[in-house]
Parts: sequence; C-alpha cells; structure tokens
Amino acid sequence: MANDNEIIDNIANKEYEFGFVTDIEMDVAPAGLNEETIRYISAKKNEPDWLLDWRLKGLQAFGRQKLPEWQNFALPTIDFQKISYYAAPKSKKKYDSLDQVDPELLATFEKLGIPLSEQKTLAGVAVDVVFDSVSVTTTYKEKLRELGIIFCSFGEAVREHPELVRKYVGSVVPYSDNIFAALNAAAFSDGSFVYIPKGVRCPMELSTYFRINTENTGQFERTLIIADEGSYVSYLEGCTAPMRDENQLHAAVVELIALENAEIKYSTVQNWYPGDKDGKGGIYNFVTKRGICKGANAKISWTQVETGSAITWKYPSVILQGDNSTGEFYSVAVTRNKQIADTGTKMHHIGRNTRSRIISKGISAGQGQNSYRGLVQIGPKADEARNFTQCDSLLIGDRCGAHTFPYIESKNNTATVEHEATTSKIGEDQIFYLNQRGIDSEKAVALIINGYAREVLNQLPMEFAVEAQKLLSITLEGSVG
Amino acid sequence: MMTPQDIPLYEEVVNGFNRLSAADALGRESSDLRRTRQSAFERFRESGFPTIKNEDWKYTNIARWLKDEYALGGIPGGSGGAAAYGAVAENVRAAVERARVAELDAYIVLLVNGVWQKEDAGGLPKGVELLTVAEARQDPALSGYFERPADGRERYFAALNTALFSDGLFIRVDAGALPAKPLHIIHVFTADHNLLVQPRHVWVVNRQAELKVIESVVTAGVGTGAEAADDKGQATAKIWVNSLTEIIVHSDAKVDHTVVQTPGERTRLVQHTTVRQKRQSLYNNYNFTFPGADLVRNDLQIRLEEDHTETHLYGLYLAAGQQLVDNHTLVDHQKPACFSNELYKGVLLEQSTGVFNGKVYVHRDAQKTNAFQQNNNLVISKKATIDSKPELEIFADDVKCSHGSTVGQFSEEALFYLRARGISEDTAKGLLINAFAFDVTEKIKTAAVEAHVNQLISQHIPLTHA
Repeated sequence: MANDNEIIDNIANKEYEFGFVTDIEMDVAPAGLNEETIRYISAKKNEPDWLLDWRLKGLQAFGRQKLPEWQNFALPTIDFQKISYYAAPKSKKKYDSLDQVDPELLATFEKLGIPLSEQKTLAGVAVDVVFDSVSVTTTYKEKLRELGIIFCSFGEAVREHPELVRKYVGSVVPYSDNIFAALNAAAFSDGSFVYIPKGVRCPMELSTYFRINTENTGQFERTLIIADEGSYVSYLEGCTAPMRDENQLHAAVVELIALENAEIKYSTVQNWYPGDKDGKGGIYNFVTKRGICKGANAKISWTQVETGSAITWKYPSVILQGDNSTGEFYSVAVTRNKQIADTGTKMHHIGRNTRSRIISKGISAGQGQNSYRGLVQIGPKADEARNFTQCDSLLIGDRCGAHTFPYIESKNNTATVEHEATTSKIGEDQIFYLNQRGIDSEKAVALIINGYAREVLNQLPMEFAVEAQKLLSITLEGSVG
Repeated sequence: MMTPQDIPLYEEVVNGFNRLSAADALGRESSDLRRTRQSAFERFRESGFPTIKNEDWKYTNIARWLKDEYALGGIPGGSGGAAAYGAVAENVRAAVERARVAELDAYIVLLVNGVWQKEDAGGLPKGVELLTVAEARQDPALSGYFERPADGRERYFAALNTALFSDGLFIRVDAGALPAKPLHIIHVFTADHNLLVQPRHVWVVNRQAELKVIESVVTAGVGTGAEAADDKGQATAKIWVNSLTEIIVHSDAKVDHTVVQTPGERTRLVQHTTVRQKRQSLYNNYNFTFPGADLVRNDLQIRLEEDHTETHLYGLYLAAGQQLVDNHTLVDHQKPACFSNELYKGVLLEQSTGVFNGKVYVHRDAQKTNAFQQNNNLVISKKATIDSKPELEIFADDVKCSHGSTVGQFSEEALFYLRARGISEDTAKGLLINAFAFDVTEKIKTAAVEAHVNQLISQHIPLTHA
C-alpha cells in the first residue's frame, strides 16, 4: 500500500509534462475588447468589409448577453478587458519547406512529439499547425489540392474562397448563439477551414495541433468544415499548452456542415494545462461545437478524449435535419486534482428516421468534478427517430464527484429514446480477480480504465487512439485506493 | 413574459399576507412560527411564481393558469374554506363515493378543502392520533413541526404554503403502534368561485411504528371530467390546490403511502411532499395520476437523514386531453448505507404533456449508497409530449447508482403477436398499456387498492385512444 501512496503522490504532484514557454517574438494586440480591437484584428488580417461587419455584430451580441448561470460549477470571473485578442508570430513569412521555419518553433513541436518533420513518411497526416493564432505552415496541401480539397487557415479561406466562407460561417453557430460564441465571432483570430468537394473521400486524416502560447492571450479559434454531397472527411484536433499561472480562456467555435450523403468524423484529444494540484492556473476550455446534417443520409460523429484544462465546458452537438441522418457522440472525460468537466452533447432530431448514439464515460479522481449534460430533442416531424444514450461514471477516491443531467424531450410518438447511466467505483472484485492472475493493482486499474473507455477509444483514428490510451494511463496511474 | 405584478393571484396573496400579519388572524401562534411564515413569504416575494426560466419548472409553464383570478381560501378576510362548500355538500358526498375504495377496510378521514370533517370521526385505530393543523399549529408542544420546515430555503409554492397555511391534517402514530387498519384520507376540493387553497399536513410516525395511508384526491363542484354525471354544467369555477405534506419516519418505523389523484378539470394541483427518514426506517410511496386536472405537479422529496434506510417510489401517470402532469422527485442520500429504488411510468394520450424529473443526490458521507431510478414513457398520441430528466449528483465513491429513461411506442413485435392470435388492434393496444402499467400496480401491497387503481386505469384507457 505504501507503494500505492507513493505513486498517488507522484501522480498528484506531477508537473505538467508539456509545460514550457516558447520564446518567439509575438505581435500582440493591446488588451481589451472594444470596436477598436475588432477593427484592429480585422485590418491586421486584411479582411473584407462583410467579415468586419459580422465581427461587429458578434461584438454587439456579446455586449447584450450575460454569463450563464445554469452550469454545474462556479464560473470564475473572467475579465474580458484584460485579455489580448490577437497574437501572431512577428516573422510572418510563407514557408515552402520546413527548413525555413523558425528552428525554435520546430523544437517546440518536437517536444510535443508532433512528428512534423517526419510526417511526409508517417501515416499520411497533414498538419495545419496553429501556433497560437495564425497558421504557420501547412503540409500536404498540394496533394489535397489535386482532389479539390481545400484545407487551409481560416484567414486564407477568407481571402481565397470568400464565397464559401460567407455562405457557411455562422450558419451552424450564429454569432448570437451564446456569450462565448459571440466573443469568438467578434474576436476570432484564425482557425482551420476544410472543404471536401462532391463525392470526394479525403484520403488522409486532416489534423490541426493547437497550442496556446504567449501569456494573456485568449485563443479564439474558428473551425469550419464543409463536406459536400457524398464526401467523407476525418478531422483530428489535439492540444497541449504550456504551463501558466494565470488562467487562460479558450473560446473556440467549430462548425461542421454535412450535405447529402456526406460524413464528417471529428476527433479531439484535449490535454491542455489543467492547473497545478491546488487548481491554480489552467485553461478554461469553453468551446462551442456544433454540426448540422443538412442533407439526407448525412452523418456527423464527434469523438473526444478530455484529460486537460482546469474547466472543460462544451457540448459538441448535431442538428439532424436531413432524413435518415445520423449523429454520434463518443466521449471520455477525466478530471483529477481540482479539474472540472461539464460536457456532453445535444442531438436535435428534426428529420425523419434520424438516429443518434451517445456514449459518455466520465472518470473522476482526486477532487475532480465530472458532469454529463445532454439533450436529446425529438421534433414533431422526426418520425421513427431513434436515440440511444449511455453514460457511465467512474469514481476514484472519496472527494470527487460525478453528475448526470440528461434532458429528453420528445414530441413524436413514433420516436424511441433510451437513456441509461451508471455510477460506481472500480470494483474490488475486479481488482482482486486481476491480482489473482499476477497483475498488480496499478496495472489492473489501467487495464480496467482502458476497458471502460474502450468503446470511445475505438472510435479514434489509429494514431490518436495510441496517444489517448497513453494519456489515460498517465493521468490515472496510481489512483488505486 | 408576465411579471409578478401582472398575475392577479400575486396581488391577492400579498394582500392576504398583509391582512394576516396585521390582524393576528391565525390565532395564538408562536413567535417562531410567525418568523418562519415571514421569512417564507419574503422568499416567495423574491421568487414569485415559477416560470420556465426556473430549471425546476423548465417544462411546466403555468402562465396560462395564472391568468385566472383566485380568491385566497382558508384565511380570515379571504373566502372559501370550510364554510363555502356547504352549498355543494351533495357534490362532496358524491365525490367521496367516487373516491371510496371498494372492499377496503380502512378508517376514513374526510378533508374538504384541507379541513378535517371531524363529525365523521370514530373508531380510530389504536395508537393513531389525529388533530387538525389549525389546533396543532397553536399547540406549543407541536408547533415545532411547523416552525422548522424540512427545507428552510424553499421557494415558490412551498414557500407560499408555509407563509399562508391555516389547516390540514396532523397525524401522530405512537412508538411501536401497529394499527390494524390503514387510514384512507379523502381530500375533496370544491369551490363555487375561483379559489386557492393551501392545506398543510404533518404526519409523525414514531419509532417502530407502522402507518399505512391511502390518499385520494378528488374534486366536487369544480369541473366535470370523470364526475360529469354528477354536476353537469353546474360549475365553471377553478381551483388551485397548493398542498404541502411533511412526513417524519422515525427509526425502525414503516410507512406505506399510496396517493391516487383524480381531480376533475379546471383543477390545478401542486402537491409538495417532504419525507424525512431516520435510521433503518422504510418508506414506500405509490403515486397514481389520472386524466382530469389541468395541471398536476408533484414534488416528492425524500431526505435520508440517517443511515440504513430503505425507500421505494413507484409512480404511474396517465395524462390525457390538454393535461400537464409533472412529477419531480428528489432522493437525498445524506447518510451511509441507504437504499433507494424508483420506478415511474407514464402513458401520454391525446395532447397531454408529461414531465419527469428524478434527482438522486448522494452526499460525500453517504458511502455504500445503492440508488436506482427508472422512468419509462409510452407516448400513444401523435400530439403528446414527454420531457424526461433523470439526474444523478454523486459526491461519494463507494456507491452504486444508476438510472434509465426511455421514451417509446408499442413494441411492433408484441402487437403482431397479439394480432396474429386474432385480437383486434385496439384491444391489443389496451392490453399492452395495461401490461405496461402492471409493473407499477403490482407493487401495491393492498389488494383492494390495487383493484381500485386497475379499475381507474381501464376506465381511462378507452381503447379508442389507441
């Protein structure tokens, strides 16, 4: 047992592995949020007038809205005027090859374990690296271009494909959706843009690694993915962030649009700085993610593994508008120390024969609080709609909490909705069984956790699944007892 | 959105409360009780009537019923109360007959608008004592039960009840008493003009005692509904019942509590029940709601204040017409090793709306908690709506908690099976509804009550609904 305690202490006191600050010159906007800042950002990025107007509408919506009070945690006070809304590396050149990229930047990626330099031979992952806010380099662009796939930074898309951006931006998450979405609409710095043309199956996983750098910079990413009729894309998003004392706000917006017969698979591994063991510092991850299955037979699938951030607060949702469309949500959320996760999904069934499946696995350790909050809404026209929800919570230690708040609203008598939830600790009998077979408690817990989360991890693309599994083991090792 | 000032009832209760404080209208009450009333009223003024912006009333929009004017019943200077039903006494009798459970050997207690009709007393089971709340609240030995409500922070209707209640039924079961007969409490609500009545009941079941209660809630003179034959076209008055019951189950005591709600149309029923369970006590609740009332809102809160308790909650709601039936339950596991089990089933007909919110809260100290909860809904009609929200909030790790919720239709296979045996579609559907309800009704321990409930189900599931 002494050994266990030691391990627990080690884990509890473990410094954040990816906490380091990269020293690169930054172009930082003065702190504060007002019309001037918005105009500054817009001008910096040479944006067209319609986008500036849209940003300003977002700013107005932000001013009108109040911070929500329904969440299951105390929202820390955020001084929106103390945040700097724009940061970009100063040397803003275009790179043709990796050799030209700032070596220190490359070193950062190496520390993170992003195989950027080897990627051409590895796994076919094209990485649109977002270093803080501006997209620095994009690989594999050429190959994708041959297929007509557009994968670029949001800013570039605004310049080169304004008609697409203008048509779809804000169509799923309007600027007035919620206060953080409004903030993002007003002040979004950059992000990723993906367009898959009709009938094209994207041959590789598209991936963006986010990093938050530069002190006091809230990161306001905006991702827009459009899958045209009959196309398919799998998109990965993974994050690590350097250690910080001051809380950093991350209010991203992700919009997915799947047209007829299209499929979008969106996977996230989130491991931002969770704060130290007293809960000091750490990222506030307040993200609005929503997809719409616009056409018939479309499919959107969200998969997320959330281990980082001081507060994770997001509900990746799907609007099932097209008949026979499908929405999926697979989630593993781990909280330890004083981490808080309030996450889940919303499935809006509008079209006929729409189906949704929700699998949520929460793991709470230490003083972590984990909430599942989900909405399954069946509209009057969603005949034969079908939903299955399962959310399980695992508790490790007697100071953590697990909470489940599912909302089921059905206005259609042909719909079938099922929800089940369980909460328990790791069974002593399970550990005993494994001990009997010569597996120590430590490994037994890792085994049980991985088995518990398997249903979700299996949904991740290969490269991610390995990373995620490792992450889970590291996070929870030694929590036996 | 309506502001409190737009609600005629709001003004009525504010005036009512002012009259009350000015005139000592409620008799010799302790100063503590007066303070309790005052603070509850302040909380009510702050909260007002709930709107859909309040999480607990998210799916229950009562604005349409608050547009009516109601007189405040039961307090001096107001109207209604015991005297007002005299004119429709015949209807009250008829209502009592409807509420009667055939072949049930029980001691019958009749309450009209929350006032116990003592003349019907006699033959009370041994060890059981009944008092009116009007007496009990003025008795220094008993007023403590009213001075310190189980939840001192309640808002909305519960706060309003605390501020303004005047009468109800006080039951005390002596330690170790095992009454031979159950109590059948018949609540008749009646009004010849729009009325708000706010009964308050306190039941104390002492150590090692047992209490079996069957409560029937009916109306006379308001609405027609099931009682159409008795008072045709006579009544258009609306009645709002805001009732609050506190039940204290002391250690090793057992309470078996069945509620059958069949009030008629134009009734708005808000029933708040708080149960406080002590060590090793057992509390079973069976709640049945049938079509009729415009609104039925049940708040059932179980507070497990000591360890090793056992609780079973069973509910069945059949809703029809424009009815809104809302069941909110809370099982508050405060101490270790308590067991709770909950099963609520709903059948939604016509344009009705069903709401279920079941919360299980496990405190940090409540290790070894076992809590189960299930809610199943059968949506029969195209226009019916169901909103279900099972919740778990857990702060202890050595627990087993689970909940499940389903919304669905008849199983095609089951229907086919019956049709293939020559049973008409309507009959087959009727059978399936009865089978669906059976899971709940079979839990009733008294055969006569079970038969009574089954009879009500078949009365309300005419096969034409299907």
